[in-house]
Amino acid sequence: MNTQVSLDLKVMLETQGLCKYWGGLKALDDISLQFFDKQLHGIVGPNGAGKSTLLNLLCGHYKPTRGSILHKEEAIEAIKPYAFARRGIGRSFQKTNIYPGATCLENCCVAVQRRMGGSFNILRSRYTQKVLDEIASEALEKVGLGARRDVVASQISYGEQRQLEIAMVLATSPEVLLLDEPMAGMGHEESQLIIELLKTLRREYCIVLVEHDMDAVFELSDQLTVMVDGQHLTTGSVDQVRDDPRVKEAYLGQGDEVF
Amino acid sequence: MLFNKRTERIFFWVFFPLALLMPLFLAENTFFVSKLTSIMIFALFVMSLDYLVGRCGLITLGHAMFYGLGGYLFWMIAPEYEAVNFWVYTFYICMIAAAVALIIGFLVLRTSGIYMIMITLAFAQMAFYFFSDSIEFGGTDGLFIYVKPETSIFGLSFFDLDNPTHFYYLCLLSLFNTLIFFRILIRSRFGRVVDAIHENPGRTTALGYNIFVFRLMSYVIASALGAYAGYLFTLQYGFVNPSMLAWTTSGSALVMSILGGMGSIYGAILGTFVYEGLHYVLEHLTEHWMLFMGALIIAMVMVFKNGIAGSMEKLLEKRT
Repeated sequence: MNTQVSLDLKVMLETQGLCKYWGGLKALDDISLQFFDKQLHGIVGPNGAGKSTLLNLLCGHYKPTRGSILHKEEAIEAIKPYAFARRGIGRSFQKTNIYPGATCLENCCVAVQRRMGGSFNILRSRYTQKVLDEIASEALEKVGLGARRDVVASQISYGEQRQLEIAMVLATSPEVLLLDEPMAGMGHEESQLIIELLKTLRREYCIVLVEHDMDAVFELSDQLTVMVDGQHLTTGSVDQVRDDPRVKEAYLGQGDEVF
Repeated sequence: MLFNKRTERIFFWVFFPLALLMPLFLAENTFFVSKLTSIMIFALFVMSLDYLVGRCGLITLGHAMFYGLGGYLFWMIAPEYEAVNFWVYTFYICMIAAAVALIIGFLVLRTSGIYMIMITLAFAQMAFYFFSDSIEFGGTDGLFIYVKPETSIFGLSFFDLDNPTHFYYLCLLSLFNTLIFFRILIRSRFGRVVDAIHENPGRTTALGYNIFVFRLMSYVIASALGAYAGYLFTLQYGFVNPSMLAWTTSGSALVMSILGGMGSIYGAILGTFVYEGLHYVLEHLTEHWMLFMGALIIAMVMVFKNGIAGSMEKLLEKRT
């Protein structure tokens, strides 16, 4: 790998020869990557490159056909999906995935309560734990939804729902953030908001960002991986990747996006 | 606040005082007292089903299995000619039913949606044929309970179960407690996760919850209460028979839950009273009551979009 990373960076998440086959289709073939703490790792590639599949494997939603996933040097590919979140691997979804009938605050409270405990307490009221509300509010403030905390999630705008999506992940206090196209379907101004948010977050967490908005990815990424047809094409700094002839070919060959 | 909706509070303050005073008006008419008692017992059963279906999103057609089990369990574990303590046996029956529900839930809850309906139905039918085909359990005729339990706590006896009015109050108290219990449960942190799972199970898993455990716990709680309702039914009529376990029992309970307003809990009481009330009236008007009953149910389900409770809320919540 032509990655140049200074030695003091800690590997948070690592994949080794990760494969996912759907019958004969190789959705993901032999992917070995390292994701570092307090770095933003962008993943780009044409449609069907296997970016979402990779995220779904990293968060435990799918089980890999072969290969392993290491979190802090421990193999975790065999653990249950919910256990990924408990280890601090949080994800947001490409398609907005929230609790539309609950308030923004309640959405985040569900996330916070997982860590705070008491979820098996059938007697104590859910409305009495002030600390929980505070942490949930904090997460909302962080993404700029502080003013919307008591509004029902189905009533806020699409862009705000995308922000809420991220707030919910933050509320679980993760170490790793897996973000699946957080800017999908957003207008320019809304995207800008998310970009600003990610700029503040990328020095606090290990972030894996799958995104179609190339400008955003180039602006944000510390490292960049390009994937094509389920294969790993290259990984490197933004400049390295931008100048890689294979990358240009891959994109031009597809005929959609050009740098 | 325990009841977060105004409608619910109004219902609470209308229904329970009325129910409390009712036997005073009907003092001579033990038939009506008994009729109301049996409706309240079934309302308790419907309430436990309503929690499962409406709050947890676990649609089951086998809930009657626990209703019947409550009755059969009492026959099995209580001595035949000796009065046992009601409270102790309530505890036993709920615990045994919970243990059974733990095992069955463990299998059933691996599926969801239509598959879960089929599997719960299969389990209930197995139980139904087991009890109706076995001679030891009286076959299709069922069994008689000769001696009713006594209800003393520390030597103090409040209810005489042979007295219809006393039994009425015991059932009213049970219904009241169950309603309060479910409200506390729904308001709790456990209830928060249950609501989250109902609304978006995938997301709840992604947040780190093992949703299977929460569903299993809910299933066990609802089943134990379903068995308690069956136990009360058996005590009221002094017999237990396989029709309690029939899928039609689950079916009508489901209709009552939908009619009352799924997931509202107090709607279970409304649904059961409206259904049984209509049943009673139509039965006395015409032989073909089932035809009219069916038509009325269809009409009501279509008019009341979210059940009677939902329509009442629409009417009453606007003005707040």
